[in-house]
Amino acid sequence: MEGIVLALFVCLILALVTKYLSIPPIPFYIIGGVLLGKSGFALVTSDEISRFFAQMGLIFLLFFMGLGLKLERIAANRSAVLTSGIIDLNVNMLIGFVAAYMFGFSIIESLVIASAFYISSTAMTITSLVENRKLMMREAETVIWLMVFEDLVLILFLAIISAGDQNPLLFLLKIAGVLAILYAVAHYGKEFLINLLDRSDELPILFTFGAVLTTASFSMYLGVPETMMVIALGAALATTDPDAFEQHARPFKDVFLVVFFVFFGITINLASGVNMVMILFISLLAVMSKFISGILTGIFIHESALAGIEIWGNTIGRGEFSIAIAALYGSPLVATTIAGMVIVTSIIGAFTAKYCTGMRKWMAAPWRRKPSYHSHSR
Amino acid sequence: MALRSVNLPGVGTKYEFETDKGDIVAIFFTKTGTIQMYTLQQGCHTPSAAEMSPMEARRLGNILTGAIIEAEAESVEIAFSALADLRITIHTYLIPKEITGKTIEDLQIRTKTGVTVIAVSRKDKNIINPPPSFVFETNDAVVVIGETDQLKRFEREVMVD
Repeated sequence: MEGIVLALFVCLILALVTKYLSIPPIPFYIIGGVLLGKSGFALVTSDEISRFFAQMGLIFLLFFMGLGLKLERIAANRSAVLTSGIIDLNVNMLIGFVAAYMFGFSIIESLVIASAFYISSTAMTITSLVENRKLMMREAETVIWLMVFEDLVLILFLAIISAGDQNPLLFLLKIAGVLAILYAVAHYGKEFLINLLDRSDELPILFTFGAVLTTASFSMYLGVPETMMVIALGAALATTDPDAFEQHARPFKDVFLVVFFVFFGITINLASGVNMVMILFISLLAVMSKFISGILTGIFIHESALAGIEIWGNTIGRGEFSIAIAALYGSPLVATTIAGMVIVTSIIGAFTAKYCTGMRKWMAAPWRRKPSYHSHSR
Repeated sequence: MALRSVNLPGVGTKYEFETDKGDIVAIFFTKTGTIQMYTLQQGCHTPSAAEMSPMEARRLGNILTGAIIEAEAESVEIAFSALADLRITIHTYLIPKEITGKTIEDLQIRTKTGVTVIAVSRKDKNIINPPPSFVFETNDAVVVIGETDQLKRFEREVMVD
């Protein structure tokens, strides 16, 4: 218990400092965890309680993501979501997979690394778009929809990888069953839920917490991935009053997720033959591969490679979802590799998000082109 | 002037419109509660942006709808069109050094000018309907109600006493 208190205190200080400097806090929570854990000063070890808190963090992160998934809105924006999403998926998954495989990871491990390599941090991207005042740019909208597409891929990935060696038909049936229950509750209980959420006593928050926990443990009991089911719960409840659910789930998410990140760092073991050069190489490759997918998206969506620089600059940071994948499916070595990649890319990403508009202007500056006196006279 | 509103997942709601002259104004209500306003002049490529708290955004809204007339101290004019076009103005003032230590009665505010002091704000505390014995202190913000002419008289005769 003292361990969690100490870890939370360190995170509080890190949060204060990173907010003050307006840089993403996630990499620093992990670094803080590494320093507190067995690879650092060995002050904190994970125990039953911290594991429960960390799992809550992951579950609430995914529930929150589900709340943001408004399927009818995605359907209305199909073309915008699809083109950029498919470019992003193919380029980054492929590069990530090949790189991991070449470094000697197994096929499954490479797939896990490739997924973490592919998925950008929605939290960092959205925060940097708001803080750097880029919301009006046309590229911002592309980037936002890209994040939605990545979320959808993550759900698919969770389903595929957690199906494991179960009977696929039975597995699908179970999933369909839970989904049907969730959507039936959201559909037939809509009036009731909206009235419940409107109350000013402890009921709304109690219900939110209870619904997430019940769904998670019921899924575990049935043997379907609880991660996927809490996303589905979020998506189902989003058809009632998503803003109210977000408001009531936010405190749980904010606290537990910090515990999740810091204890992820604490459990990292740097002694077990970690190849720092390999991690650095994969991290820099992660920056480069988003550059390729960004430029391609810029060309296909905005008919300008320069627009791709803006897309690239805002999607470099890997974060919460990469760590989630690592925590769920990564062996210690895979988890350490992904942690290193998250730390490097999110710190580089914080800078590129701030300065990519300037870089783009610099590249487009007239003196860098061959002098052409006839065009562009205004 | 077509107004377009879009819901951006994870970000918030965007309102955008193009003026007749081709300038673009975009407003974002973000999930964090702040409001960002962007303006893009026709022919320009980079917009300029301002970030506001909800309170600041409401003030800007008031200015744009014409409710606030003066900037230095705020004033709001309310017109009751059903009551023979009755117009009442509510104005705020900061108490200057000259009348510090005097009461509302000393200054004979209502008899001299016709306005009424309806509230005083002192260091984050609000006093509603202060009694005639109320003593002013420097930098009290007073809220005064009356007609435009009466308020002018108040500014001329009381505030410089």
